Amino acid sequence: MNSARFFVALLLLALAGCASDPAPHEQLRLTEQALGQARAVGAGEDQGELTLAQGKFEQAGAALTAGRHREARMLAEQAELDARLAEEQVLTQKGRKQVAELKRQIGALRQQLGEL
Amino acid sequence: MKGWPVFSFGLLCLASLGGCATSSPETLRALDEARAELLAIRTEPAVRLSAEKDLARAEESLARAERFSGYLGSEDDVLHYAYLSRRYGQIAREHGAQRQAAERLVELEKERDRLQLALSEARLLNAEQQGEWLEEQLLGRTTTETERGLVMTLGDVLFDTGREELRSAATRTVVQVARFLRLNQRRVVRIEGYTDSQGDDQLNLELSRGRAQSVKDMLVDLGVDAGRVQVAGYGEAYPVAENASSQGRARNRRVEIVFSDEEGRLGAER
Repeated sequence: MNSARFFVALLLLALAGCASDPAPHEQLRLTEQALGQARAVGAGEDQGELTLAQGKFEQAGAALTAGRHREARMLAEQAELDARLAEEQVLTQKGRKQVAELKRQIGALRQQLGEL
Repeated sequence: MKGWPVFSFGLLCLASLGGCATSSPETLRALDEARAELLAIRTEPAVRLSAEKDLARAEESLARAERFSGYLGSEDDVLHYAYLSRRYGQIAREHGAQRQAAERLVELEKERDRLQLALSEARLLNAEQQGEWLEEQLLGRTTTETERGLVMTLGDVLFDTGREELRSAATRTVVQVARFLRLNQRRVVRIEGYTDSQGDDQLNLELSRGRAQSVKDMLVDLGVDAGRVQVAGYGEAYPVAENASSQGRARNRRVEIVFSDEEGRLGAER
């Protein structure tokens, strides 16, 4: 009987544990940082991933205020990676642009050589 | 038997927590997509080389999603970690693409440098051939060899009466001189201005010097080192024709460019 009571208490505690996730202040800070970094390299609102990240970040903030910590953490975690992806996409684009520019220069040089 | 209902309740709880096989189609699809994403990027060598950390995180997140799919009521977690896994995978893929672009850039930069070198060499060769031609043109036709060295005369028509500024028609000749000096780096020149006998002596001296200076300024503008260009104004001295006729006076109004020899030795000033 004692052990059964203990078991039930444990179960209730475990279920209650879900509701009392710690407030994900640190995660929200990380997400905000990732958003800032993405914008710093030139990610714009025309990029789907950045808009997504911003939206989730705002939702996470609202969930945090409402005390829904678990929801806030998940949204913020996703937003962080959305923002990071947006940043990386911009960097990839920049690299590709540099490659294209060099190819253009090389093409022009070849043409000049041909004309001599 | 008192403990039986409690025991059965506990059993029910365990069963519900362990209800793994009953995952929703949505979570199953999310898991499949995350697995497929990982599989696809693992085959890209550039990703493996440049995004080890993100790849590891993608795998970690996928493993977590799979663990959560073993518990009922954890659908949110499955979807969440499957999402994170895919994002890590996509980030890893971007890193791979960036690495490829960077490697390509290095190759292309080398190619561009080689081409630039080839082009400048080809141009130099061309310029040398052209230089010979220029030399013939400049030193053969329009110049005379005097005791002062090689002298090229820019006629009166290159200046408006009483003005120091070069007419645009003179520009072409001066451009040719500039090119000739660029190709013959050791040669130096002295630019000498002359006028006819009309007008005030002092003004003529100033005018002749001003005109010579205009030619020098233009040569310097065209990239000739100022130290290689001397300037002198002689006014109405040293006429080449009689000042009695207008044709004679026109010939006397002139700028002469005296070229040094190839070693840069220039005859003394008059």
